[in-house]
Amino acid sequence: MEQSDDATGALRREVSAWLRDNVPGAWRESMTGTAQESFVELQRGWFQKLSAAGYATPHWPEGWLGGGRSLAQQKLIFEEVARADAPRLILYFVALYHAACTLLECGSAEQQARYLPAIQDGQIWCQGFSEPNAGSDLAALRTRAERRGDVYIVNGQKTWSTMAQYADRCLLLARNDRSGPPQAGLTYLLLDMHAPGVTVRPISQITGDDEFAEIFFDDVEVPVTERVGEEGAGWAVAQATLASERGLTLVELSQRMRSALPRLADAINAAGRGDDSALQDDFGNLLARVDATCALADRYLHKRITGEEGPGDASIVKLFYSRTLREFTLLGRRVGGFTAQCERGFMRGATQETGNWPLDFMNSYNWSIAGGSDEVQRNIIAERMLGMQREPKDWHTVERI
Amino acid sequence: MTVSTTELRDAARQVVDDLGLAADEQDTWALVAELGWLVLEMPEADSGLGLDLADACALHVELGRGLARVPFIAALLAIDTVVQSELPERADLLASLGSGDRYIGVPLAETEVQYVGGKLDGVAHGVPAADRSREVLLWSGANDCIALVAIDAPGLQLECSNTWDETRRLFDLHLEDVVPTCILARGDAAHALLRRLRMRRDFALAAEAVGGATSILERTVAYLGERQQFGRPLAMFQALKHRCADLKSQVEAATALLEAGLAQTASAHDCAAAERAGLAAKLLANNTYTHVVEEALQLHGGIGMTSEHDCHLFLKRAMLDEHLGRGRDAYARMLAGGSLYDT
Ligand SMILES: Cc1cc2nc3c(=O)[nH]c(=O)nc-3n(C[C@H](O)[C@H](O)[C@H](O)COP(=O)(O)OP(=O)(O)OC[C@H]3O[C@@H](n4cnc5c(N)ncnc54)[C@H](O)[C@@H]3O)c2cc1C
Repeated sequence: MEQSDDATGALRREVSAWLRDNVPGAWRESMTGTAQESFVELQRGWFQKLSAAGYATPHWPEGWLGGGRSLAQQKLIFEEVARADAPRLILYFVALYHAACTLLECGSAEQQARYLPAIQDGQIWCQGFSEPNAGSDLAALRTRAERRGDVYIVNGQKTWSTMAQYADRCLLLARNDRSGPPQAGLTYLLLDMHAPGVTVRPISQITGDDEFAEIFFDDVEVPVTERVGEEGAGWAVAQATLASERGLTLVELSQRMRSALPRLADAINAAGRGDDSALQDDFGNLLARVDATCALADRYLHKRITGEEGPGDASIVKLFYSRTLREFTLLGRRVGGFTAQCERGFMRGATQETGNWPLDFMNSYNWSIAGGSDEVQRNIIAERMLGMQREPKDWHTVERI
Repeated sequence: MTVSTTELRDAARQVVDDLGLAADEQDTWALVAELGWLVLEMPEADSGLGLDLADACALHVELGRGLARVPFIAALLAIDTVVQSELPERADLLASLGSGDRYIGVPLAETEVQYVGGKLDGVAHGVPAADRSREVLLWSGANDCIALVAIDAPGLQLECSNTWDETRRLFDLHLEDVVPTCILARGDAAHALLRRLRMRRDFALAAEAVGGATSILERTVAYLGERQQFGRPLAMFQALKHRCADLKSQVEAATALLEAGLAQTASAHDCAAAERAGLAAKLLANNTYTHVVEEALQLHGGIGMTSEHDCHLFLKRAMLDEHLGRGRDAYARMLAGGSLYDT
């Protein structure tokens, strides 16, 4: 369980010393308005170092390089990485969390042995769940996976897939059967993004970046050995992916948000408004909320470790994080004033804590839309946690009259 | 939460449920004494249970759920201060406090008392059930002094505050040249004790607020599940679901922050960190409590505006609570003050 103060102190010194020698310098400047190639290069170089040192995967279980850390140690490592102002590894985010957690929970021993070391070596993954007509209503997805001998033939389209243009593999949720209820006919596949028939088209975002992309599948063959779980059991596997996104990732993200608070304080002080009592109130309230976000994320992880996770727990963490992040960036926008509106440069890999407040504000929508929107989380909390009655599903009958 | 804290909480929940909402003060006090809750934090050497602030707060949460009328927060604050003190009659005093025979009141709101020339002057606010106490614990922050004052001391006048909330029964104490019964601490020792007392008061108030918020949200969700309009339970309407889900996430966040803060007081000996955690816990808990209860009133419709319904009891408690402790605006500003500076 919890480490003694001595052991914690030693780990903290070890990690911070390592970070001092290894965090890429001046990356904020070099990543502002930069070309994709240099972004990929920076991410790759930084990931390689962090992973080799074992600090990219403290949340993995025992037996894997860097894994088997206690909650306190995981937090400490995330905290130090954030404090050292290292670039966030957004290129590897899906590999480290979504793919790893799905494989650890639902993958076969061979799949784990094949992919987990590859992920630690820098294999890039993307998540292919959403489609143009299947967003919040994920089970409405239509991308087909037809079994032909020992391969599946995949046809269809995915969208909003983060970093798909760089990905080696895709966590694909596809339909193998259209006859039953929507959730029943889904199959979960690990698709090779370099296979013939895969086309990726990046989508330009409001920030000027293009972090996500469309993926088109045209008769793409996926060996049956790349299926996670049984045919038709894809929905359950997808829940493991989504749970990792809603809960686990937030230990790291909430620590990053806390580490970014001084940036906001600096901005308030620099504007000469440290004595503005309205701002003091809002900043003080934000501090409490940010601390609470960290406490919630910690508690969630603890519940997961001890097997006490209940329905809706992950949704609570994600919803509270997303609302707090919105308030954080809003306060920044307010303090940044007109000057901040004039700073157009987007920064690759910096996500929502750059101190470029309009940019951070826009990026905060990642967390209220992606991975199940705030509204979807609220539905889950209300229905599965609070037990409020579901609405009757009568729209289809109404529509067809 | 450790196993014993969980057991304590479950037992307390049963007791509070059995008593019913805002139960009679005397009955509840007798039960609190009988169950040994008053000796919860006393050291085992003083025949106490030797449990810690997290355990005490588990009880505060439960009493907050039931809007209990007992002055339990004040009682525990006084006991802890006596435990920490070096009074000669410490042992006897603790024995009578632990049995519930004797109760020492403590102000739950900020006070403005001066200690000059051996006498206390000023007004102490928010002492719960002061009419039942034999002494009151008072302090002068400016003069670094903590004292016990007899309730019938010459120059001391009690005035019932008559707040909208009737469950706390708070009193103002007007002091004019009052000679204390005894001085518990002076100088640096008083300063340290006072910091400790305020920190513990913040956590205790936060815990009660978390309990109250949890309870009124549960009641609201249950009501929406039963009440039918437009041929269906109101709980089915998504507009209402989403409001309840937001409230739930806020209550969970306040709970998690409280528990994390309490864990900090138990493990670290870093006084400043514990103090800061108490500020944050109190601030978020009270913000959450008031918000949940304001929403609850709206979500109950007309029934929530009637005196026979329980909703208003929570509303009035929450409205009062945000002004207790260091005062409504102090918390956010103190938290911010660590990073912001005046120009
Ligand atoms: C930055 C970003 C990165 C993403 N990355 C990925 C990725 O890597 N892989 C991937 O598969 N997907 C990804 N997504 C897609 C994301 O999961 C979807 O955008 C999300 O599920 C919402 O679906 P939608 O965009 O179709 O919105 P819609 O479902 O059309 O929703 C529109 C609005 O209606 C609300 N709404 C929908 N249904 C309900 C309901 N039942 N009750 C109340 N309100 C409702 C929504 O909350 C939203 O406000 C990403 C999205 C973003 C923004």
